[in-house]
Amino acid sequence: MEQPNFIEKLNATFEEFGQQKVVSRGQFILKVGEVERNLYFVKSGAIRVFYLTEFDEQIIRFGYKDSLINSLSSFINQNPSEFYIEAIRKTTLQIISRDKLYQLVNENEESLKQYILLLETLITQQIDREIDLLITSPSERLKRVLSRSPNLFQEIPLKYIASYLRMKPETLSRIRNS
Amino acid sequence: MQFENKTLIHELLLLSHQSTQAALQFKNLPIEQLNFRETENSWSALQCLDHLNKYGEFYLPEIDKQILNNPVQNQQLSFKSGVLGNYFANLMQVKSGQLKKMKSPKDKAPSNSGLTLITIDKFLKQQERLIQLLTDAQAINLTTAKTPISLSKLIKLRLGDTLRFYVYHIDRHVIQAQTAVKTMAR
Repeated sequence: MEQPNFIEKLNATFEEFGQQKVVSRGQFILKVGEVERNLYFVKSGAIRVFYLTEFDEQIIRFGYKDSLINSLSSFINQNPSEFYIEAIRKTTLQIISRDKLYQLVNENEESLKQYILLLETLITQQIDREIDLLITSPSERLKRVLSRSPNLFQEIPLKYIASYLRMKPETLSRIRNS
Repeated sequence: MQFENKTLIHELLLLSHQSTQAALQFKNLPIEQLNFRETENSWSALQCLDHLNKYGEFYLPEIDKQILNNPVQNQQLSFKSGVLGNYFANLMQVKSGQLKKMKSPKDKAPSNSGLTLITIDKFLKQQERLIQLLTDAQAINLTTAKTPISLSKLIKLRLGDTLRFYVYHIDRHVIQAQTAVKTMAR
């Protein structure tokens, strides 16, 4: 019988051991300064991860249906989070702890390999995002993001997408309509 | 009015630290208290901070620009206030704990809803920046360096007066915010 792969095991772990939590719109799942001890699976709803500057809230990542998300650097280093995680609308999360995740990862060599693959995917996504922000053309930036997340506009309100794309909402409306 | 840079900056830093401490205290309060408005026309504590954040978005980059564009001087500097700058600074300065009601520019009016603890955190970040800028400003000629004001880019104030006006303005609204939270607690 084929061994379940890491992702399948992860999903099963979320189902079996995960704690379900419902958060309302505007509720903070994690605040700056708190240490991230969880990994979240979004069953429904939408959340944003953002960095607060003196001038605005810079969204770096979204989580919506079927996303795995958390404040990753804090999760890895166990340092205080530099990001906020906030529910954009009512959201149902499935939560597993860091300990549980690492237990799963270290179960066998196959799990470890799969976890590494997952991390590699994440790293390339981060680099793609870095390139997003270097691209000057707003429409090209939008195109890149949409190719990775085609359902974005169905899941996330426009003003947040604009923040993620680092443009004004008016600019985003304009390039969408052209 | 004439000031030694050192004395002026010291006073402004002290006041800024006070405002920062007050905001840190707000973080311990329930959100309902921070959103409480005594009357329809009065501001909640969060609205006061939101108003200040809007000012910070304009003034902090302008102050930063001047500090970057003006040479650092190694001697003891003094600052002479300008007529207009002195007027604005005195207008804002809180004297003997009394706050007079003032009208605020419409474009700096605070949001009516949706203010959260993020408003406080943003204010605290702005304060951190301000304290850094004040410290750097000590070695700059505060008389020749000038910033525009938010009301009109054509009107320029001496940097020393901008700093005075800006810090006093924060003090004024932080006191207003403290009053707003105390009112509910009564």
